[in-house]
Amino acid sequence: MTGGAVKISSSTGATGAIRAGATGLIFVAPALVLYAAFVLWPLASSVYYSMTDWDGISQARWIGFANFERAFADKIHLASYLHVTLYILGTLVFEVSFGLFMAVLLNSDRPGFALLRALFFSPVVLSMSAAGVLWTFVFDYRTGIINASLKAIGLTDWAQPWLSQPTTALLCVMLVSGWKFAGLYMILFFAALRRIPRHLYEAARLEGAGPVWSFCNITLPLLKQNILVAVLLAVTGGFAGFDLFFTMTNGQPYNSTEVPATWIMKQAFDNDQLGYGIALTVILTGVVCLISLIYLRYAERSHVVEY
Amino acid sequence: MLPRTPALTRRAFSLLALGAAAWGSASLPALAAPAEVRITHSMTGGAQKEAFDAIVAAFEAAHPDIKIKQIVYDDDLYSDTGLITQLKSSSPPEIYFQWAGAPTQRDAREGFAMDLSEALGAEGWKDSFIAPAFSQQMGVLNDGKPYLVPITLDVTNVIWYNKQIFKEAGIAPPANWAELIDLTKKLAGKGETPFVIGNQELWPLGNWASHIASRVVPPADYEAAFRLEKPFNTPDFEKALNLVDEIRQAGGFNKDIAGLGADPAMSTFFQGAAAMHPIGSWLVSSATELAEKDFDYDEFNTPLIDPAHPLKDSVIGTLTGFAVSPKSQNPQQAITFLRFFTSPENQVKWAEAGSFSPVKGAMEKAKLDPKTKAMADLLNSAGSLVPPPDTTYPVEVAEAYYQAAAYVAGGEKSPKDALVWLDDRVKTMRK
Amino acid sequence: MSSNTDARPRTPGEWLQFGAGSVIVTVMCFPAIWMVYSAFKSNREIFRSPFGLPAEWRFENFTKAWIEGGLGALFLNTIIVTGLGVAMSVFFASMAAYAFTRLDFPGRRALARLFLVGLLLPPPAVAIALFTQLSALGLINTLWALILTNGAWTIALTTYLLGGYFRSLKREMEEAALLEGANRFQIFWHVVMPLVKPAMITVAILNAINIWNELLFALLFISDDAKRTLPAGIVRFSGYHSTDYSLIFAALTITTIPIMIFYFICQRHVMRGLTAAVAE
Repeated sequence: MTGGAVKISSSTGATGAIRAGATGLIFVAPALVLYAAFVLWPLASSVYYSMTDWDGISQARWIGFANFERAFADKIHLASYLHVTLYILGTLVFEVSFGLFMAVLLNSDRPGFALLRALFFSPVVLSMSAAGVLWTFVFDYRTGIINASLKAIGLTDWAQPWLSQPTTALLCVMLVSGWKFAGLYMILFFAALRRIPRHLYEAARLEGAGPVWSFCNITLPLLKQNILVAVLLAVTGGFAGFDLFFTMTNGQPYNSTEVPATWIMKQAFDNDQLGYGIALTVILTGVVCLISLIYLRYAERSHVVEY
Repeated sequence: MLPRTPALTRRAFSLLALGAAAWGSASLPALAAPAEVRITHSMTGGAQKEAFDAIVAAFEAAHPDIKIKQIVYDDDLYSDTGLITQLKSSSPPEIYFQWAGAPTQRDAREGFAMDLSEALGAEGWKDSFIAPAFSQQMGVLNDGKPYLVPITLDVTNVIWYNKQIFKEAGIAPPANWAELIDLTKKLAGKGETPFVIGNQELWPLGNWASHIASRVVPPADYEAAFRLEKPFNTPDFEKALNLVDEIRQAGGFNKDIAGLGADPAMSTFFQGAAAMHPIGSWLVSSATELAEKDFDYDEFNTPLIDPAHPLKDSVIGTLTGFAVSPKSQNPQQAITFLRFFTSPENQVKWAEAGSFSPVKGAMEKAKLDPKTKAMADLLNSAGSLVPPPDTTYPVEVAEAYYQAAAYVAGGEKSPKDALVWLDDRVKTMRK
Repeated sequence: MSSNTDARPRTPGEWLQFGAGSVIVTVMCFPAIWMVYSAFKSNREIFRSPFGLPAEWRFENFTKAWIEGGLGALFLNTIIVTGLGVAMSVFFASMAAYAFTRLDFPGRRALARLFLVGLLLPPPAVAIALFTQLSALGLINTLWALILTNGAWTIALTTYLLGGYFRSLKREMEEAALLEGANRFQIFWHVVMPLVKPAMITVAILNAINIWNELLFALLFISDDAKRTLPAGIVRFSGYHSTDYSLIFAALTITTIPIMIFYFICQRHVMRGLTAAVAE
């Protein structure tokens, strides 16, 4: 999730490129071999295994589309896509929007702001598993500091088993995700904000416009491209989401935080159904590619991505 | 692989059974080149490994024509890839450690394990084991034929209780279900948390809830349901889940049951923050390591539910044992070793090293520490053994039942609704 | 970033801005601060007063966590995986990026598009197939399983980032070298590499953070405790010792501090790299 690049390189950039023939291939070969062996090949073999009944040990048995039929009748599997959609919507609020807000708030040359930005960004470099373990303790019903704080200020009734209630568990994961990644979006928007000419704001101020007006009429339109890129990052990152769910809730309570990644791993490795698990990964790949294609079409039209 | 669910369960179970030495003790070569028997397992050290090594040495002394070679893997590695790569190789080891239930049955089907009917039938070998070890449900058998020599029994669920809290509340272990509900109400009334269960991985409550169901539902129906041959939504299963619901209504469960991990729940129990904790026999070893010295606890089995049920005094547990590879070099010598290993004298040593021996009389004769002794007594008094569904039936079916029980314990669904959900859930699974 | 610090007195609005920023940042940092000082407490203290400062600062918690968690081995494994993974990914990607932006060869467009797939694909989508493939290769439970997969999974992004940088460079020096009769490889090694070094350092740091923190592959491909990396080791450790909060907090603190120090040292690179990654 950290730093997914989205500026798609344009092949036209190579106008005047040196005709290199096979030499060019030699330069590409090491990267290509590694990439093909550990990204493309497993992707291709997934298609075969997705049509087998296989426990990883016995001989794989060809069963056609039965795994896919099962996948579309598997209600928890279907619900996992609902949960990941909610999670992505959550990340748009807690990561992207909050990141944008903080970028505007911390956009100043005054002393101290650079430190605040650095601190705000720091959770991004932490490992997800450390973050997940830490926050599991923070949310703990008996000893967590959230409930302890609530009790300390007299709101004993507000203390909840946060990660054990379907109504709050997913929200908790979203909050931690926000805590972890808002800094990433903050720094992206911050860099873009620095490129907006200051005289635009000064002119607006002279005409009596407030900061809110300036934000809506200057900042947002000028950041449109960055926002679109951030949304793509949040969406693709959301589908890859596994670590926090695994360390904090593992899909519970009552499968209310089950997302495709956690459900797939359970099917494949806890239930020894690698064939079915791989079929689920093929569906996940399909969904992500479809969304990316739709996005790219849209982005091409609004010139976010040159292609 | 993932340190979760069955993998974790497996790990926890085998903590009792296993522990680092490399290759077994070498013996002096006999005149003729001795036949080699290779044994692969995951005992990397500890008392059990020492006892095993001693028995191996005694065997080699008694049988100079046979040489034992141990191939040892770390626990997780063994169950993930260590064993399977050996079984699939061109020269599999003669003897390998395996779990009863689905793994043994798979090995039988795949031809990795040998049919031991003939060997066990000879000279009353089979009769030297406690009878429940070879009962249909324990998973040593496939198509009625044995494929595993059972060596260790692990109890996967009893109810551990905090003796001090029980004393302060003036209560004693219950004799039947009604008493259990009464004492739960009493504890809840005093503001205690009667039960702490960390059910994030579903098996902690699921194991218990299936033990309860096995005592309520007629055995044939129970088995048929888990094999997807009959529905779960029957009055009998509903009655079983109603019992779980009774505990919930009595204020029995911790509020964070659904999201708490299994290990943090045990820690809560050790901290004295809950009166009871239903979990397996591995709590004893964890307590030595993690509980305060003055922490005083004991255990009781799930109390009597239905006096008319054939499994009314059952204990829930798993069996592990040794299987023989039919494709190996010296299967007959392997059987000679296994007979030696399961002799009553050697099994007393095995029991004293901390294993629950399934050989008749071994636990009675062994000198044991009080906690282990109590567990042995509990096993002895058991009329029957019930295996946990996740080692016996398709894992996804077991998990679905566990989930249904979780719904009931959390008050998310009524027992009836949970069973309707469960039948709908298993509908998509292959039989 | 604060080089041209504004020296005028702050207006009330600016004070408000600074105040609000500080409060939000402090609240966000609190869980981490809580983790660090709780690591010095005894278990009982954590249970009794979750907030209080330790009555006695127990440094022995850290020694215990280091030993019981086998953190030394975890660090070493993580360093090996990260180091080799990053080196492989950055070196191969710089060659590929050079070819994609500077050379014309058959299949260039098609290959460049193939690399695009890797930008959007979520790792869980091939994790299982990768697992079976690595088992077949006998690489499961070896550090190579993580080095190769992490190298491969970061290569697409690295190629594109470096490609963007190559495009911003002038070609004169390369052309001059070509006229002097240097071949493609000499040009790449002696002319191009020195020029792209700053960009390589930036992407190397980015990749290092990503690989250092990678959890999914680490959980799936390694089952041997002695070969785990930090993220997987921490999950494992906290599961097994979940009864011992102070030990877990100590382990978390030990594992978090180095990456934090690394971040604050390389802060500019990290932020610049990320900005380049998205904003260009």
